[in-house]
Amino acid sequence: MTRKISSLLCSAALAVGLASPGLADSGETVATIKERGSLLCTGHNGSYLGFAEVDDKGKWTGFDIEFCKALATAILGSPDKLQIIPVSWAQRFPALQSGDIDVIIKVTGWTMSRDTELGLQFSRPYFIGPTNILVRKELEAETSADLEGGVFCINAGTSIERIVADYMGARGIEYEALNFEKGEELRSALYAGRCDALAGFGPFLAATRFNAPNPDDFVIMDEVLALEPESIAARQGDDNFIDVINWMVSALLMAEENGITQANVDEVRANPPSASVERLLGASPGMGERLGLSDDWAYNVIKAVGNYGEIYERTVGEQSAYKLPRGKNHLWLNGGLLYALVLD
Amino acid sequence: MAEASLAPPAVDRGPLAWARRRLFSSWLDGLVTLGFGAFVLWVFFEALDWAVLGAVWSLEDKELCAPGGGACWSVIEARGRLILFGLYPFEQHWRSTLACLVIVLTMGLSCVPRFWGVRRLPLLWLAGFGGFMLLMYGGVFGLSVVTTEQWGGLSLTVLIFASVVVIGMPLSVLLALARRSDMPVIRGVAGGIIDVVRSLPLLTILFAAAVVVPFVVPDWAQGDKLVRVILAFAVFFACYQAEIIRAGLQAIPPGQEEAAMALGMKYWRRVIDILLPQAFRSSLPATINQFVITFKETSIVTIIGFFEIMASGNAAVGTGDWAGQFIEVYVFVGAIYFCFVFGLSRYGAYLERRARLGQA
Repeated sequence: MTRKISSLLCSAALAVGLASPGLADSGETVATIKERGSLLCTGHNGSYLGFAEVDDKGKWTGFDIEFCKALATAILGSPDKLQIIPVSWAQRFPALQSGDIDVIIKVTGWTMSRDTELGLQFSRPYFIGPTNILVRKELEAETSADLEGGVFCINAGTSIERIVADYMGARGIEYEALNFEKGEELRSALYAGRCDALAGFGPFLAATRFNAPNPDDFVIMDEVLALEPESIAARQGDDNFIDVINWMVSALLMAEENGITQANVDEVRANPPSASVERLLGASPGMGERLGLSDDWAYNVIKAVGNYGEIYERTVGEQSAYKLPRGKNHLWLNGGLLYALVLD
Repeated sequence: MAEASLAPPAVDRGPLAWARRRLFSSWLDGLVTLGFGAFVLWVFFEALDWAVLGAVWSLEDKELCAPGGGACWSVIEARGRLILFGLYPFEQHWRSTLACLVIVLTMGLSCVPRFWGVRRLPLLWLAGFGGFMLLMYGGVFGLSVVTTEQWGGLSLTVLIFASVVVIGMPLSVLLALARRSDMPVIRGVAGGIIDVVRSLPLLTILFAAAVVVPFVVPDWAQGDKLVRVILAFAVFFACYQAEIIRAGLQAIPPGQEEAAMALGMKYWRRVIDILLPQAFRSSLPATINQFVITFKETSIVTIIGFFEIMASGNAAVGTGDWAGQFIEVYVFVGAIYFCFVFGLSRYGAYLERRARLGQA
């Protein structure tokens, strides 16, 4: 997601990124992490709903944090060998370049300028971020066309503003925009009936609906205005580390595809249904050596955090407060956009 | 005075008379009084209704919380420790509490005139910071090590404020004196530093200290991110404070310093015994102002990933269960800020009274 960052900070980050592209030499990151004995992963300066939150006891939880845990487990064998470093949106890229963190797992969109100008390398997307519309149920709007002439609440200065303008402009739908600086103001305006609809990032809308005086008054429309692939970012030039990240994401998806869960992983490992599952869980060799990890790394990851679907449902999906529908984040089998790579 | 003095003019005394004279002297006056009175009462009762009468107090009654209803203080019960301690390990919160108390106590003690001395004050602060570090960082006496990334909440806010002021004050005095120096190079350098630093936003300076320094300074010289940020903040504070003190210095008639010179007093004696006490006295209101601003500005460090109390307040409402209770959390954090800032103001008023007594 592109967010409001003051242009000042943005250019500072950019300048820093340009100044030292490719700090990491190939293969160094994993070696550094192993030597240190912990992975330095991104947190947030506050909480970011569903993705990086702090619980009552000051412990990090959330979708992104689970992926940090998965990566720590893949490399070091335990989800506890993880240090979450709180960083703000503006700070994440320079912090990666300076080595304050090893990896950015922070709902970070894979964009061309970041990929080419900031000295970053992105993994395959691990989350597809939709821009949706939350609408009052009483309007009985099915699609955006039904909102002709309506008032939209929009977060000022974000990419959402542009997305809505482009989308509605292309369809010739007239609307009135009401811009707000802060998420709280947006919500209050919607609850108070100052706007008919709220356009925004899917997870944010889910939280907005959840917190409404009467959640049943609101509904998230199925229509997707834009999709943003969120990827894990590492320093440019460390191919091995990117491989590890890609295969970690893939292992979580493959586990879901094959019905392997945190609960049954031991069972499946003892009794693998296919050769590739056998290899995935380290029952037969080949999975670890090629990445420079232990053979049972994927088994450890699934044992620690579960498969992709379990992570999703636990942090942002049905079992969480947000009840965000999987939508495009389903496996391709279920009509989504996610798939596992081929394990041969 | 004449013997047969007239009786004093018939003045009505008592609150009723006062009200008639001040509040209801004419029709218009009376209307305005009634109007404003009603408004103030209305605001007061609305606030009372929200914060006390219609409020939900305990965590068990959380279901009763409804948007548009009274305050939902359950959020403070559930998330209060997060707000106060940030990411500090839960089982070790007592350490953070003690550390915070140590700093507050040190601040309190250094406000007592008995501790004002060239030797006493630095010793007091060394002990204060030493105790704070010992408790917060640990690593000795069987205390587990807690690195600075995990520090947060009120103790971090208080630490940043205290160290910025303690480092910044002496620095500001030096800068102010240097800017008044007879030596052109020293005067130029001090003026240059002050003007350059003041022209940059605090945010830029802190961002550079936290994020840019690692690129330009070798590893061994970088130090902890928190230390870099505090030092940068202290320099920023010193530049503003230097100008305040310089104003105080300029208010002293030059004759005083000339007289001291004629008595054969050396430079530092003149500065310590004659110039600074008077300069501090006349710049006191502006100095307290600067302290208050600095205390509130500490919340800017959240942009470079520190979990001071504003950030931990944001973290507290950044979860699905409590995202609707942001007003309660802001009020809570605001009340904490208020306690500190109001304390500072009262202390400033006390110092001014004391200075006036000394003058009389």
